[in-house]
Amino acid sequence: MTLLAMFRLEVRRLRVQPLAWVLLALSLAWLGWCFTRLLGDFLANEIKLAALPDGPGYVDLVAVPLLGQMAQLAFLVVPLLAMSTLAGERRHGTLPLLLAAGAPASRIVLGKYAALLLWLLLWLLLVLAMPLSLAHATTPDWGKLAAATLGIVLMLAALAALTLAASAFTAHPAIAAVLGLLIGLGLWTVNLGAQMAGLDGGAINWLAMSTHEQNLLRGLVSTTDIAWFVLLIAVCLALATRRVAADRERG
Amino acid sequence: MTNVNSALSPLLQLERVARRRAGRAAVQDLNLELAPGQVLGLLGVNGAGKSTTLAMIAGALRPDSGAIRLSGEDFLERPERARRLIGWLPERAPAWPELTVAEHLDAHGRLRGLRAPEMRAARATIVERLDLQPLARRLAGTLSQGQRQRLGLACALLHSPALLVLDEPANALDPVQVGSLRKLIREQAAAGTAVILSTHVLVEVTAVCDRVAILHEGQLRHDGPVRADDHAALERRFFEIAMQGATPAARAA
Repeated sequence: MTLLAMFRLEVRRLRVQPLAWVLLALSLAWLGWCFTRLLGDFLANEIKLAALPDGPGYVDLVAVPLLGQMAQLAFLVVPLLAMSTLAGERRHGTLPLLLAAGAPASRIVLGKYAALLLWLLLWLLLVLAMPLSLAHATTPDWGKLAAATLGIVLMLAALAALTLAASAFTAHPAIAAVLGLLIGLGLWTVNLGAQMAGLDGGAINWLAMSTHEQNLLRGLVSTTDIAWFVLLIAVCLALATRRVAADRERG
Repeated sequence: MTNVNSALSPLLQLERVARRRAGRAAVQDLNLELAPGQVLGLLGVNGAGKSTTLAMIAGALRPDSGAIRLSGEDFLERPERARRLIGWLPERAPAWPELTVAEHLDAHGRLRGLRAPEMRAARATIVERLDLQPLARRLAGTLSQGQRQRLGLACALLHSPALLVLDEPANALDPVQVGSLRKLIREQAAAGTAVILSTHVLVEVTAVCDRVAILHEGQLRHDGPVRADDHAALERRFFEIAMQGATPAARAA
């Protein structure tokens, strides 16, 4: 019951935040422009591509690159959307009201996280609607599209959990956003130095978000990649829960 | 220190409650009881530990040691018990600026476990009682401090709690609203709700409270009955306690 109450409260807060709508509108406008550009390129080369025996198709050249663009935007959009989830509560002094309502810290965190995910899934659905609107006129590789979509869902969920955790540790939403952005980018590029030095170390590659996301965007679904995202989400939510619970302990 | 034990079985019991904050003892060894229908005024200078005590009673802050019992149950072990039994108006009445007054009441109702039909009835009653109808569609961020205080009070009362915890509820209210607040507190007490009222205003205590507790440096220094015509005695006692440990310059002022 408290989980549902928290979820509804956060959905309502997100729904009336101008920033959430501005981010949605701007990102959709940018991705819409990317979609038309990708589609134009695909149509221009369609005949040449059709002649290739295992040539790339509509999903490879339009849908997946569009989701790739969305993944890049997510580094900015998700921290801005999630920055005030807990930092805002602390800033306005409303976190004690939630704690006094007998809501366990885990339900406060999960309720807010679920609301964020709902908003991000809405964003993803609107982006996916672009390539799907032409699916009837092509023969899409549904398996590859599903894998790429799973990759984006996991990445959005991971970035949301990361910023939520950052938001739990501060009363300033801007600091939470910067932390979310920096840690997200750090996790994405953690293997960049090793790659530039020509090292293909397993451990450092495993740590990088890009390794797991790119596999999924290529259509390769493996439990290792899914487990990496699930682990990151679980750690971030556990950290956020601990910090919120500490507010009741430490004041 | 004088102590008053009520003849009624206590709704709230604090046993040797202690809490440190910012490296100092904010509340020390606090014992307090409150029976249904009693109105307790909590007095003390700034930093005496009033807000910390109320936050612990409301369940927003955990004591370092001691026990807080609500209807005989240790509610530190079961904080969800506070959900339906306690209504809390914190200092400065915090609110979500992006939500309307009506949305606040809905959110508080859900958080306190009210079901939809109960909530509709409770909301209609409290909106009418606190004259919030003209503000129902206003965003909390656009309300004056006095209006926010009324919203906070409405949220605290919405679920008909057995214990009402009010931290400086008369802050920023105009004299007419202060009069209404006093009447409301007396009505709640008459209906069996126990009320704890923290304030800096001694008149407030003599006007509505049955008992007064004075905190100083985190310790309970006085707990006794109060009468409406007892203002001068209460003032004397308060200053005696408040000046303990004060510098000569502060005493002279």
